[in-house]
Amino acid sequence: MRDLTIDADRLARELGGMLGAAVQRDPASLRAHAVDGLVPQIRCAPKDTDELCAILRVCDASGAAVIPWGGGTAMHWGNPPSRADVVISLEQFNRLVEHDDANLTATVQAGMRVAALQELLGGRHQCLAIDPPDPQHSTIGGTAAANINGPRRMAYGGVRDLVIGMKMVLASGEPIKAGGKVVKNVAGYDMCKLFVGSLGTLGIITEVTFKMTPLPETAGTVVARGSLAQTASLIEALFGSVLTPAAVTVVDGRVAAAAGLQPAEASVAVWAEGFTETVARHVRDVQAMAGQSGMTTEVVHDIGHRRLWETVRDFGAVGAPPVVFRLTVPPADVMPVLAVVCRLSDGGALRYVAHAGTGTVWLAFDTPAPVTAWFPRLAALAQEYHGHAVLAAAPPEVKRTVDVWGPSPQALGLMQELKRQFDPHGTLNPGRFVAGI
Amino acid sequence: MALSRALLARLKEIVGPVYVLTRPEDVVVYEQDAFLVAHALPDIVVLPGSAAEVAGVVRAAHEANVPLVVRGAGTGLNGGSIPIAGGVMLVLTRMNRILEIDPRNRLAVVEPGVVNADLTAAAARHGLFYAPDPGSQSVSTIGGNVGNNAGGPHCLSYGVTGNHVLAMEIALASGGMTWVGGRSVDPPGYDLCGVMVGSEGTLAVVTAVVVRLLRKAEAARTLLAAFETIDDASQTVSEIIAAGIVPTAMEMMDGVVMAAVEAAIHAGYPADAGAVLLIEVEGLPDSLPRQMERIETICRAHTPRMLRTAASEQERLLLWKGRKEGAGALGRLAPSYYLHDGVVPRTRLPEVMRKVVEIGKAHHLRIGNLFHAGDGNLHPIILFNPREPGIMDKVVRAGEEILHACVEAGGTITGEHGVGIEKREYMRWMFSDADLLAMQRVKRAFDPSGVMNPGKLLPLGTRPDVTIKPVMTAGMWT
Ligand SMILES: Cc1cc2nc3c(=O)[nH]c(=O)nc-3n(C[C@H](O)[C@H](O)[C@H](O)COP(=O)(O)OP(=O)(O)OC[C@H]3O[C@@H](n4cnc5c(N)ncnc54)[C@H](O)[C@@H]3O)c2cc1C
Ligand SMILES: Cc1cc2nc3c(=O)[nH]c(=O)nc-3n(C[C@H](O)[C@H](O)[C@H](O)COP(=O)(O)OP(=O)(O)OC[C@H]3O[C@@H](n4cnc5c(N)ncnc54)[C@H](O)[C@@H]3O)c2cc1C
Repeated sequence: MRDLTIDADRLARELGGMLGAAVQRDPASLRAHAVDGLVPQIRCAPKDTDELCAILRVCDASGAAVIPWGGGTAMHWGNPPSRADVVISLEQFNRLVEHDDANLTATVQAGMRVAALQELLGGRHQCLAIDPPDPQHSTIGGTAAANINGPRRMAYGGVRDLVIGMKMVLASGEPIKAGGKVVKNVAGYDMCKLFVGSLGTLGIITEVTFKMTPLPETAGTVVARGSLAQTASLIEALFGSVLTPAAVTVVDGRVAAAAGLQPAEASVAVWAEGFTETVARHVRDVQAMAGQSGMTTEVVHDIGHRRLWETVRDFGAVGAPPVVFRLTVPPADVMPVLAVVCRLSDGGALRYVAHAGTGTVWLAFDTPAPVTAWFPRLAALAQEYHGHAVLAAAPPEVKRTVDVWGPSPQALGLMQELKRQFDPHGTLNPGRFVAGI
Repeated sequence: MALSRALLARLKEIVGPVYVLTRPEDVVVYEQDAFLVAHALPDIVVLPGSAAEVAGVVRAAHEANVPLVVRGAGTGLNGGSIPIAGGVMLVLTRMNRILEIDPRNRLAVVEPGVVNADLTAAAARHGLFYAPDPGSQSVSTIGGNVGNNAGGPHCLSYGVTGNHVLAMEIALASGGMTWVGGRSVDPPGYDLCGVMVGSEGTLAVVTAVVVRLLRKAEAARTLLAAFETIDDASQTVSEIIAAGIVPTAMEMMDGVVMAAVEAAIHAGYPADAGAVLLIEVEGLPDSLPRQMERIETICRAHTPRMLRTAASEQERLLLWKGRKEGAGALGRLAPSYYLHDGVVPRTRLPEVMRKVVEIGKAHHLRIGNLFHAGDGNLHPIILFNPREPGIMDKVVRAGEEILHACVEAGGTITGEHGVGIEKREYMRWMFSDADLLAMQRVKRAFDPSGVMNPGKLLPLGTRPDVTIKPVMTAGMWT
């Protein structure tokens, strides 16, 4: 067993010798980087990969626990870390390395903010088809590390599908790369898959190469309001049809109101984008299907469309409510699961955003009380449908009483072995991942 | 390799004696895959009938410390299922049951030996299909597709095997079995399912797969564009992608291949053109005309010899038949050929295709091209006569020069055929020692004793033994 107490002064001197002023120890700044209540002792922001490698070498050798930090918008995601000594900020890794627009790819440094990237890409009529919450602050590295997938995943794929290359630095300070910048590549193991969603527990991501999506000619959304049962029948008709919407999302009355829509028991928003003719056809057909289910519809464009989808995107993340759960189930089971959840809550303080095309249901509660009662129930419900329930946000003292990832996966032994192979000293984000990896 | 009687007896007990082969005339069938230039005999071939039997065989091989090689249909092009270290070969063709099709959730659960085209046929009854469509789809297995992360013409817009596998059950060398991935997205933990895809049988044996199915598009339009030169066709491909248009498929066939195809099946290709593009778009019929118009406009800028839209479903299928049987038709051109696989950024396609032509000229080799142009995924086909003395060295050298050109252009040594024994030493052209060590770490986590498909995927430092086996005739597997 290694001695887990570190000599922070010595470590700071050693890092300071390498990085100079880039090492911070001022208490206010450190408190601002607390992770689930744990205040780190040192914060540093390397200017390039060489510096990052040097920092990791020193930390790994001295037994210091390292917390990679992107935009800090998802630091509550995962179990509370078992230790948190050194925060490494990727803020200086903030450049778009290459936008090869003619090849529909872009290579981006990990600390770049998602909104800043989208703006540059938009200048050449392309975008990254991932919609993480709070894009003004969230970073590319954090989005890849946390595997953030927005509503349009059903049309464009998830982070794992859009990443084609990566650079990372392992806990030992060794830089490696995976994949490349071509859209098809089977040279060796697909290491990108291993790092997407690894939540900073295997290495620090410094650069990501993505497939790009051309900006659509136009976009619009049909919103249909009604009961949960009507919503379910509309969604079934929709998925039985040849339509190819970008997103199909069900929200409760309070979320609808926040998005500037008329509240109802349930509203389903169908996002269509692409050629004008395609969008027109979607609007026409979805309205007809909704009519058959006895639902009222409205069509939103431009500002209304944007406001709606920003509300959906930021749900549960921005202006964080105390308790957020994420359920993932096979797509057709979203409505049955939602029906059970609503029945259980019995008109209680529950809000939801459910992506019917991908099978992801977000539930938010306004008080921490429900965790003990709800988490086991949701976990059992999800399991019944071959799915999972994750506690996405809760006060640290509540999180400490559970494993936020739910029951351990069957392949936990393999996952623990991979962690040992890549980070034998448990330097990176210790304790945050499944079963305390 | 001398294998113990005890192991043989145990294997017979697990799968039944009729499913264990050891006589030379029985095992010789399994000495080779479609990488026609290498071969090696397995000591024992085992044909298990269930996941539990696979697990038993894997454990037995591990405990006897004997190499274990998995094989589906053996259509792999990299030598991945050749037992170069002997040992036990697991042939999974008996495990060919489709266990479940869930049309509501658009997924299927299949055994690894299910043939790709059989899955698509079964899904078609529900208006669904399985998207990855390798040229070998009428024989290759889902397990082998997973092993090599297979692609195909329609992967340009739909993605490759890895984008369509949701979960799988695997048997580990340690004897354990586990599911990785899940029927729902984002199961907690590392994405081991993603890592398994393309691992070429070197990590674990896949015993069941959950795949995503897609709903058939309402309409499709197929365009055949013939050009004077490969260069014109390559420029057209680059410009279509650069215009932000991603067709469902965009395949190129050069004059060499086209002549062979026309002679074989009369698909209606202009036999004297330099290259043709087969471009397909799918979706709602509302927007297809305008999409086709934009594509045709770009084609016209390169003075096509001919632009033809398939007027009927029958004509469309005929155009595709020409593409799909292209490899088979090559048998008409030369006694043997070496099919390569490299990828370049689509912007670099014209210049790299020019290099391919130059390399052929420099080595006095005829090279045909039949490939997934929209992905930048080249398949130069080097035609040769194996009886010509010293020819194999020349063919291998030309192939290496082509792959070097791909890597120099920012591309990769393989886009869909995989590494196997063929390209394991080329991995160093792309990856540093540290990159490769990271892959070794993955290997160690799954297979600490190293019994799973040894000598594949990761460089050993020695060149693979490449010799010609005269009994094989080119194109025999199409
Ligand atoms: C309720 C809610 C909803 C959310 N929706 C989703 C969702 O759908 N799916 C999901 O998985 N997450 C989700 N998130 C997470 C969040 O919105 C995104 O994680 C955000 O885009 C991350 O960017 P960031 O730069 O702020 O990351 P940070 O908050 O800075 O970091 C996120 C995690 O990644 C690690 N990390 C950061 N940068 C790197 C790097 N360069 N290399 C390695 N590790 C790094 C950090 O240590 C941390 O553990 C949600 C969050 C909330 C609160
Ligand atoms: C005419 C022709 C056309 C082709 N066209 C294409 C194409 O368009 N696109 C493309 O990608 N490929 C193509 N290929 C290559 C080949 O068909 C694919 O790689 C295919 O996926 C191999 O499937 P198989 O069942 O034959 O596997 P095999 O050759 O038997 O095995 C392939 C690899 O996977 C491993 N493996 C097999 N089953 C399992 C399992 N259950 N668990 C773990 N590992 C396993 C093997 O050990 C081996 O390394 C073509 C080949 C031919 C001959």
